[in-house]
Formats: sequence, structure tokens, C-alpha cells
Amino acid sequence: MSLDARGSGGVPQVESVEAPPVVEGAVAEAIAVEHTPAPFRPSMAGWFVRGAVMAAIAAIVLLLPATKGAVDVHIYTQAVIFAIIGLSLNVLLGYTGQISLGHQAFVGIGAFTSAYMVTVHRQPFIAGVGMAMIIGGLQALVLGAVSLRITGLYFALITLAYGTMAEESLFNIQSLTGGSAGQPAPKPAGFTTDLRYYYLCLAFLAAVVWVDWRLMRTKGGRALSAIRENPRVAATFGTDVKVYTLLAFVVAGVFAGLGGALLAHNDTFVVRDLFNFQLALVFVIMTVVGGLRNRAGVVIGSAFFGLVTLFFEKLFTNGLDIPGIKLLPKEYAAIVIGPMLLLFTLTRHPGGMGQQIRPLQRWLRGGRFSFKDTHDDEVRVSDVRA
Amino acid sequence: MPNILASRSARIGTAIAVAMSAVMIAAGQKQALVIGVITGAGYGLVALGLVLIYKSSGVFNFAQGEFGTVAVFALFALHDQMGVPLVPAMLLSLGASALMALATERLIIRPLFNAPRVTLLVATAGVALLAISLELWLGEARARYLQPALGRLDRLSIFDVQVSDQRLLVLAALLLLAVLLGLFFSRTTLGLAILGVSQEPVATELMGISVKRLSSFIWALTGVLAGIAGMLTAPVAGGFTPGFLTSTALIPGFAAAVLGGMTSLPGAFVGGVVVGVAQSLAVSAPIFYENIPGPGAVMVFVLLLVVLALRPQGLLGKSS
Repeated sequence: MSLDARGSGGVPQVESVEAPPVVEGAVAEAIAVEHTPAPFRPSMAGWFVRGAVMAAIAAIVLLLPATKGAVDVHIYTQAVIFAIIGLSLNVLLGYTGQISLGHQAFVGIGAFTSAYMVTVHRQPFIAGVGMAMIIGGLQALVLGAVSLRITGLYFALITLAYGTMAEESLFNIQSLTGGSAGQPAPKPAGFTTDLRYYYLCLAFLAAVVWVDWRLMRTKGGRALSAIRENPRVAATFGTDVKVYTLLAFVVAGVFAGLGGALLAHNDTFVVRDLFNFQLALVFVIMTVVGGLRNRAGVVIGSAFFGLVTLFFEKLFTNGLDIPGIKLLPKEYAAIVIGPMLLLFTLTRHPGGMGQQIRPLQRWLRGGRFSFKDTHDDEVRVSDVRA
Repeated sequence: MPNILASRSARIGTAIAVAMSAVMIAAGQKQALVIGVITGAGYGLVALGLVLIYKSSGVFNFAQGEFGTVAVFALFALHDQMGVPLVPAMLLSLGASALMALATERLIIRPLFNAPRVTLLVATAGVALLAISLELWLGEARARYLQPALGRLDRLSIFDVQVSDQRLLVLAALLLLAVLLGLFFSRTTLGLAILGVSQEPVATELMGISVKRLSSFIWALTGVLAGIAGMLTAPVAGGFTPGFLTSTALIPGFAAAVLGGMTSLPGAFVGGVVVGVAQSLAVSAPIFYENIPGPGAVMVFVLLLVVLALRPQGLLGKSS
């Protein structure tokens, strides 16, 4: 069933010259090969312009934070970490089709593990992050085992209860998390300034994107695509549904653990109140709005939700403050704007931001620029398994 | 309410409830029992709404709690701040939550009618978050106190446990509501039509009943149910914050609905009482709260996990 049934949906991607990065599937490729017209090649000038645009994007990401104050850089770093968390959730939601409404627990466990290792056990930062990834993977493995038996709506319910339990119980264990007082998590040696830490997180994000990209190109990645399409057919063709589903959970848990650890050290302090139900929903929203199974879309969508507070601060200090009207405080900006964007995405643009930026992506890779590319059946929210 | 007593699930549920009561009285947990039953009745009301919507639209409605919180905020604004008398204020507040439920149905559920169920679930979660954030924005993140309708504490005691008048009122109102709903679903044309829609939408449509109009009615009804649950439990709970009913009753409500197999209406109500008592026991029994932080949430999670893993059709539901 597709959201787009009344409109452009149902059209297979016949025109696509190159398969988009995330698209797998033998059938789509076979169709593409059969109908391939003469490939379009940009001229020298075309390549130059594309190179310039890519350089500009890289410059903004790499150099813009260097010109800003520490407070702003802290928020940029948060956006980078949100992108890692978004990619983690994308593995579950996009690749396996299992919804997690308790992702704040995944992230929180990573944050508290790293803070515990660094503060209580005096271990170096890298040990804290490593342990956060291990513990994150392990707890995801357990939840994955549950998901093999309980699927769809009921699994969503389980993750919701799991998140609440983590928030109220796990994160309250005084000796591990410092209880309601929280746990300090200093920045690592050599990366003590906000700017340096920003570059460190950016490097981690690049690593996560690379791992995610390579993993999806392996046998396991193709198996996950097959399982998402139809678990029974995949099983008939000899795909081990259980093993690959568990593998996806572990990958998501490791990414989330990493994101949590980085988040903890960015704030230099972890408090349990951060990891509430609202945060879990913001995670789901940013991934869906970003566009499931579209790496660039998820990164942009997540970064947007990480940055939203900053936008609002700038907007209001630059003269939009109308007295007498109760303006939106910046700390609530993400959770007010988020659901509106989500509902808009779900009802109107099921591919999310990934769908919107697709023409640009194609063009940057040396294709023609065409707005017609935006209706893409490969990225849609509706594939989540029920 | 003949159909409720005749229901198999209600009989099993009552048996479980009686067994639990006996164990708890024997273990000296009378306080937990009485409080748990009353809290649980509130969960039951939320669960009832969840089951109704699941049966009619196939959606897990995560916005159910917020329908109720909106009524609580409206009652606070109308009665405690503007001085509107209690009964009209309550009716207006119920209108507000019914309106919100209707708006959700019209703007979100209907455009997504052909979408997969999980998409709808994410959408209702979005509605819940939007409502919470609007409450935070307009009402700030502080606790408010709703005046109880009845103030005396010492009028009655059950099993030597002092029960405040407001708690008694909650219990009485919920029992009355359960009976009225039982009659509604067994005796009125509208109630029977709703049961018909939940079982065979196509056949019901063929009998000349507008499924769309009924769907709107069901959403409004669940809005009212959540509103009643919110308004009755808010004074007992102490204070209420934005997202009040979502944080206190949504997950227990779902657990209760799952206990009833997501299909049985009396099962959902009884399930609510079972969850309420279990949670109350976890919070008040020393062996739990001395060893586990946040015992209530752990109990609900474990209950949900065990029921879904061992009996997916629900403790009280029929196996299909």
C-alpha cells in the first residue's frame, strides 16, 4: 500500500540512469539496465560548477563553525551528533522496518556508559566511547530478540514502554548514573575546545556514514532490503531473517551508543531528564522528515532538528520579538515545529527531505538537473512493516 | 449490564482481580489494593478509548492521553481561573477534548486512511507531541493544581484504608460510566452499529450505515472518555503538567488494552484495574521499591512484555 496511491505512486523508476545510493534490489536494476538511454555526461564547465558547489558545501560544514562563538559551535556539534542518531534510527526504521519509540534509551545508555567509564573509572575518552558502543549494541541485541517475536504496532508499544522504563528506572541507578544529580562527562584531552570537539564529532559522523554505506552494500545489507520487502519470501530464498534482523539491531545500537557518548561529552554533563519521551519522538520525527533510507536526507533532517534552537534564537534576537504576543521559546522550538513537519511529511511528501534534495544529489553526481526526480518510490515512510 | 457479565473475558478478569485482591490483603498491601483499583479504573477508561479506536480505525492512538490532558487544561482555565461553575466548565472541557479528537480524525487519520498502520501510529504520536509542546509553549512547564470537586478525606474507609471523597467520586463515576457504556453497546442502535463497524466495516456499510460518520463519532466519544479520565484523576494525582495524561496513563492504558487482547471492551476495563493494582503494588511493596528504582514503570514494561510474548491475544482475549 502506498501513500501516494492517488498521485504519482506506483511508477517504477524506469528513467533512472544510475541507481541512487541506497537503492538496492535486482528487479529495479534489471529494469534500469533494459531501458538505459545514452548516458548523460556533463561538460568540463558542468563538472567545474558541480565541483564548486561541493566545495562550497564542504566549506560551510568545515569552516563556518570556526567563525562562530563557543555557544553556537556547541549547537553545531549537537546537530552533527543528531545526524549520527538519525542514521542509527534509520537502520531500524528504514532498513528493517521496525519502529523504535524508545530510542532515547538507546542514546541515553550510551551517554551514561561513557560518562560512567570516564568519570568513575578514570578511563580515557576512547574507552568510554568504545564501551558505550558495546553496551549500546548489547541492549539493542536483547530488544532485537524481542522484535523477532513481537512485531509491528506491538513492538512499537514495547519500545515505548522500554524507553519509559529506562528513563524512570535504569537512569535512576545512583551508582551508575549519579541519579537525579547526573554524571559529569569531560571532553577528551586534545579536544577540550568546542571547535576541536566539533571536528572530532564530524569525523565520527563521516565514519558512521561510511560504515552504513559499506554495510548496506554487503550481503547483509541486501538481505535486509529483501527482509523488509517481504520476510517470508526472503526466508524462502534462504535468507536468515533472524540473524540479519539481529545484526541490524546491533548496528543501530552501536551507532546510538556512539551518538549518546558524544552527546554526553558535548554537554560535559549527563542528566537523566534529557532522555524523555519527547526526545524519542523528536528522533523518530527527524528521521522520518529526513527521509527513510536516504542517508543524505536523514543527515540533513537530523541536523536541522539539532539546529532548530539556534535558528530560533537568531530569529528572535534580530527583531521578530513582537511584544504582547507569547513567542515560541527556543527550547520548545523542535517539539513544536517537529510534529507539524512530520504530519506534513506523512500526508504530503512521504519521501521527506531526501525526496526534495534528490534532483540536487543526481546533479552533483553528474546527472541532469530535473525536478521530475522528486517522486521516488524508493524512499517512503509507508514501507515500515505493520 | 448483562453482556458484560456474560463475557468470558470479564469472568476471567474478575477471577484474576479477586485472586490478586486476596493475595494482597493477605500480604498486608490493602493500601496498594484500594489505590490501585481506583487508579486502574482510570487506566481502564483510557484503554477503553484505545480499544474503540483500534477496532474502528485499526490505529494505535498515541494521542489518546493528550485528548484527556486538553480537557484538564480547559477545566483549569475555565473553572479555577475564570470562575465558570464546575458543571458547565466540565461540559465545555469535554467538548474541547471531543473537538481535538474530531480534528485529529479529520486532518490526520482520514488523509492517511490507506497508509500502513505504523505510519498512522507515528502520525498520532506526532499529534501527541504537538499537543504537549503547545501546552508547554502556552502554559509553561510547571505543575498546576486542580481543586478536587469533593474535599473531605475522612468520610469513608475501605478495608481500614482512608479513601478521600474525590477518589470515591472517581470510582463511582467510572463504574457508572462502565455500566452506561455496557448499555450503550448492547441496547442502542448507535452502539450496535459501532460494534458492527469494528467487526465488519464493509457489511456495515452495506446495511446503510455511514462508516465515516460513525468513525467521527467514535473518535469524539474516545475524546470524551479520555477527558473524563483526565478530569477525574488530575485532582487525585496531585498536580498536572503538560502531557499529564500521556505520561501517567498512556502506557498503562495500552498495557490494559493489550491484556484485553486489544479487542474486548470489558477486557480493557478489567485490564486497567489489573495494571493499576500491579503498578500500585510495585510502588508500595518494600521488596520492589527498595531494590528497583522506578518500580511502577518496570512493572508495566514487564507485564506488557510477558503478556505479548506469551499470550499475544491478551490475557483476557479469545485466541483467534
